[in-house]
Amino acid sequence: MLANALFWMITIPLAASPVSYLAGRLTTLRAASIPGRASPARWLALLTLLAAWIPYITAVRMVLASGSQTIVWGTVHFRVDGLGLVLSGVSLALGALVVAFSGPYLAGMEGEDKFYGLLTAMIGAMLGLGFSNDLFNLWVWFEVMTVSSFLLVAFHWQQPAALEAGVKYLVQSAVGSALVLMGIALVFLETGVLNLDQIRATAQPSSLLAAAGALFVIGFGVKAALVPMHTWLPDAHSQAPSGISAMLSGVVIEAGLVAMLRALGPLAGTHSGWPHLLMSFGAVNMLVGNLMALRQTQVKRLLAYSSLSHVGYMLLGIGIAVGFQSAQAAGGALFHVVNHALMKGLAFLAAGTLLYVLRSGHGSHHPLMTEDLSGASRRYPWIALALSIAVLGLGGLPPLAGFMSKWQIFAAGFQTQDGLVQALVIFGALNSVLSLGYYAPLVNILYRREAAPLVGGGLRAPLSMQLPVMLLAVLVIAIGIWPPLVNGLVVSGSRAVLALFGF
Amino acid sequence: MTLSMPSILLVGIFSLFGVGLYGLLAVRNLIKVIVALQVVVKAVLLALVLAGNLRGQVPLAQSLGLTVLVADTVVAVIGLALAVQVRRCLGTLDLHALASLRR
Amino acid sequence: MASTLILLTIGLPWAGAVLVWLDGNRRPRLQNTLAVTFSLAAGAAALALIAFPSSQTSFRLPVGGIFGDFTFLADGLGILLAVIATGIGSLAVIFSIDYMRGEAELGRYYSLILFFIGAMAGLVLTSSLLLMFIFWEITALCSYALISFHNDDPKAVRGGIKALIITQVGGLGLLGGALLAFSSLGSYEISELLKNAHTLPQAALAWMAFGFLAAAAAKSAQFPFHTWLPDAMEAPSPVSALIHAATMVNAGVYLLARFYPAFEGVPGWKTAVVLVGVVSALMAAVMALFADDLKRLLAYSTVSQLGYMVYAIGVGGIFASQFHLLSHAVFKALLFLAAGAVIHAAGTRALGEMGGLGSAMPRVRIVFITGALALAGIPVLNGFWSKELILENGLEHGPVWGYTLMLLTAGLTAAYIFRGVWMVFYGSRRNTHPLHDAQPAMQVALWPLAVASVLTGLLSGPLGKLFAATLPFHDLEALTTRAILIDILEAPATWLATGVVVMGLAAWWFRKELAPVFRFFLWLGSPARNSFGFEDFNRAVVRSTQAVADLLRHTQTGYLTMNVAGILIGLVIILAILAWGG
Repeated sequence: MLANALFWMITIPLAASPVSYLAGRLTTLRAASIPGRASPARWLALLTLLAAWIPYITAVRMVLASGSQTIVWGTVHFRVDGLGLVLSGVSLALGALVVAFSGPYLAGMEGEDKFYGLLTAMIGAMLGLGFSNDLFNLWVWFEVMTVSSFLLVAFHWQQPAALEAGVKYLVQSAVGSALVLMGIALVFLETGVLNLDQIRATAQPSSLLAAAGALFVIGFGVKAALVPMHTWLPDAHSQAPSGISAMLSGVVIEAGLVAMLRALGPLAGTHSGWPHLLMSFGAVNMLVGNLMALRQTQVKRLLAYSSLSHVGYMLLGIGIAVGFQSAQAAGGALFHVVNHALMKGLAFLAAGTLLYVLRSGHGSHHPLMTEDLSGASRRYPWIALALSIAVLGLGGLPPLAGFMSKWQIFAAGFQTQDGLVQALVIFGALNSVLSLGYYAPLVNILYRREAAPLVGGGLRAPLSMQLPVMLLAVLVIAIGIWPPLVNGLVVSGSRAVLALFGF
Repeated sequence: MTLSMPSILLVGIFSLFGVGLYGLLAVRNLIKVIVALQVVVKAVLLALVLAGNLRGQVPLAQSLGLTVLVADTVVAVIGLALAVQVRRCLGTLDLHALASLRR
Repeated sequence: MASTLILLTIGLPWAGAVLVWLDGNRRPRLQNTLAVTFSLAAGAAALALIAFPSSQTSFRLPVGGIFGDFTFLADGLGILLAVIATGIGSLAVIFSIDYMRGEAELGRYYSLILFFIGAMAGLVLTSSLLLMFIFWEITALCSYALISFHNDDPKAVRGGIKALIITQVGGLGLLGGALLAFSSLGSYEISELLKNAHTLPQAALAWMAFGFLAAAAAKSAQFPFHTWLPDAMEAPSPVSALIHAATMVNAGVYLLARFYPAFEGVPGWKTAVVLVGVVSALMAAVMALFADDLKRLLAYSTVSQLGYMVYAIGVGGIFASQFHLLSHAVFKALLFLAAGAVIHAAGTRALGEMGGLGSAMPRVRIVFITGALALAGIPVLNGFWSKELILENGLEHGPVWGYTLMLLTAGLTAAYIFRGVWMVFYGSRRNTHPLHDAQPAMQVALWPLAVASVLTGLLSGPLGKLFAATLPFHDLEALTTRAILIDILEAPATWLATGVVVMGLAAWWFRKELAPVFRFFLWLGSPARNSFGFEDFNRAVVRSTQAVADLLRHTQTGYLTMNVAGILIGLVIILAILAWGG
């Protein structure tokens, strides 16, 4: 039963990928494209992503009722547990919204069908990644996800800037993948097995396994935007189409983190330094992300750097969870994964809407600058409100979602009664205050009375852009006021994370 | 020193890895970077084969190796396509021309 | 019944906020009506709560997990502040009808004010540390948004962000303290903390105590966090009256008062509180004496009076501090709103450009002078009773140096407010702007406050009884109004203080004769205008953070080779750490 749900969950998006692409291409070839006519590729992609919710909800119900399960298809091992469900839920939700959002953005553009095809493939791969239970499987899904994202990042490949971002992203991702593969080779050498459960059972402290763990952290860390592997992030986020920026920041980074956890879990017991290492990376990410974002004048670049600091919070939570067996900390980290996906997705989609109405809708490829937002609330009140909600939520202000997940991580940290961890928590809270230093001015700029000339000449915001933005804003507020909304999923995920590390 | 298969492979792995890393860090041409990437992955492939051999898991290593080969080829193809576009757009394959996005 | 009223007190303003926003600035009259209706309704709910005081939790919303339960409680302390918040909130909203006439973004203005009122009520009516922190943060958010309401003015934006950052940094003290309490006691309940404080390890309790003190000092603009309040005066005057005089800045004092039983035993804590209070009061009074801007004068005065309240808590006079909180909320709101009327008419905030306005604005002059008399502590007005009670407590239970300096400050207070009144309403007119007296809606707000400034002293007895009945941990005794007032009148401290106040008034009146003496103190002028060096410190912190950020940006070189090198450097670092730690 669960096996069926898993099968359909992964297959629907993956199968839809070539189908929607072909459908789009054939329609384009057959009939001269009427401008503004919605491509069948887009509708097919949207339908399949919505259809995939059915097996997903079934799987969630079953796992919440009877716990995680291992499913084997031939030699491929899957583990359907809370961690994978969290990642899948976020991918499907944000994916569907991004497909809806990107319609007007891409209408009639060359390569539109390719976009939807690649996007659904990427989502399908992330679903597979979330549930992998052996290193081989994990790496393959990881590669499929990465490869489909290359051309999505470099989508506007006629523009030198986008092309440059795409090239750097490709090379750095490939280096990361190679390092992960080396780690897999080392694990294989040491234990002879690739199945995560078997590795956990047979792992003994050894320098090879420690090195393998390091390679996993660094290799997957490229994708998860750990410092100092993060340098591709600002370029890729600012040059990719806004929907893809939302996916990258909201889900792909988290997928990298989940992959890292899956790979590192069995090995963590072999060396005592992992928890502190993860916490240190978290602290560095927080600080570097915030400081780099402080002086940015391009909106999407600012948001990209802010993603760095949020990964820091997730790492802090995971580090505390692994070091002190804290289910609350793991729950907090996963709660933050969900919240960050929603808030950062909202921020990028709202900013993307403004980018579209102010610049790209007119054909300009200039990036969206913070000064362009001046007075945008006069013309686009709901989008401005949504962007403000996203940004203030990211800064950790109640009653928005970001506050609740950060609080959970902080509270779990204090519960450990460890002085160093408590100091790190205060450091994390201080970073939240620091982040307000670049989030608050954005809100101020949005609500000016003097509208920038760009705003005066802006297009009307299309409905298919406004609806996803509104929906995300409502979710961010709802979860902020009532955290138990996602409790079931997060608690199940936290148990899965602890199980992954052998607790 | 015995010239056994494992030690040969070990030497091969280290040298290929080293060459690849050198290539990634020292060259200025985009195509050379992609080639260097390929070299690194081939080194890792060798490591996988060695591991499989030493652990008696030859079929598993073979399937993993083939998958890696395929995936890596795809990456190379896309990389080279982007390189062609870079040449077309910027007129050069020099990495220093690809440094406009900074800070 | 109490739980419904609590929910109404918090929920009605919030509902109003949403409704006002939804109008989209199409119908200003509707927005005015909605804002006034909902704030008055909340005020009614808060007043009704007086009939249902309790020391037990009246409402519990189980959230579970690490968030505990969302609990609410209406005891004397909470009801007092909730009534003040909603009451003065309603008056500020009514005042805004005339003050903000013609404002294009009325929706955003009213919804933020209403959102604030609800959050402030929530802050004082909750018994969960987590919820208290949440409401604390929400009030900070609203305060920031309202200070920088005129987003086109860079000074306003800077003031708003400065207020946000400083109060948030202080808020870390509350965050840490709340988390320490939770991790030691397993619960966020305030009553748990008050009951079991003595069972906590000394170190943890000390961290909590000083953390809360830092948070309170930041929120109440006390030394060393006082620099944000004067810059917050860029906000519209009704906002200054409500948030930065009557309610939000009182949150810090409220925090100290509420948690006093838990922390009074921590060595050095009470002394620290006294120190913070005394230094703030004295320093701010000096700064007020040299102020050139009417609102900044009132801002410094607020810092100074809050210092009195903090000092009172430090010497153990909880009732005295809250009594003064009530008096101050009333007369300071009055002063700010009256100042708003003056600024609205005169078109300037600078004292140097005012003068002789009294004849054109007689009504405003009367209410302003009423507030000034209350602030100076002239007998019969409410400020007299509460300030004298504080000084009496200070003489009896506190250090002598503290008492002496607070006595001096009382004199300075009289001097600076007399100067303010004089420079605005008397003397020769230095301004040619067409003047008008307070408009109708403004007057509806001003007169009740003026009357209250005279009468709230009579509430001391009932207030004391309310506190004694509902605050089991605070060890308070309840006296009748008559007993309290007579006690104040009979204390020698009172007459000593009144003498000092008269001296302060005389100092200004006879300033020409005393000029040589004053010239000796002129050197204080420049440091006073620069907040005695704290502004420079703030600027240095901001500049150095920005400098570090700019330096860090160089790591994003844009060269692919450097990026790949970064990956490999990361690998080397992690391998080194593992090898070294293993």
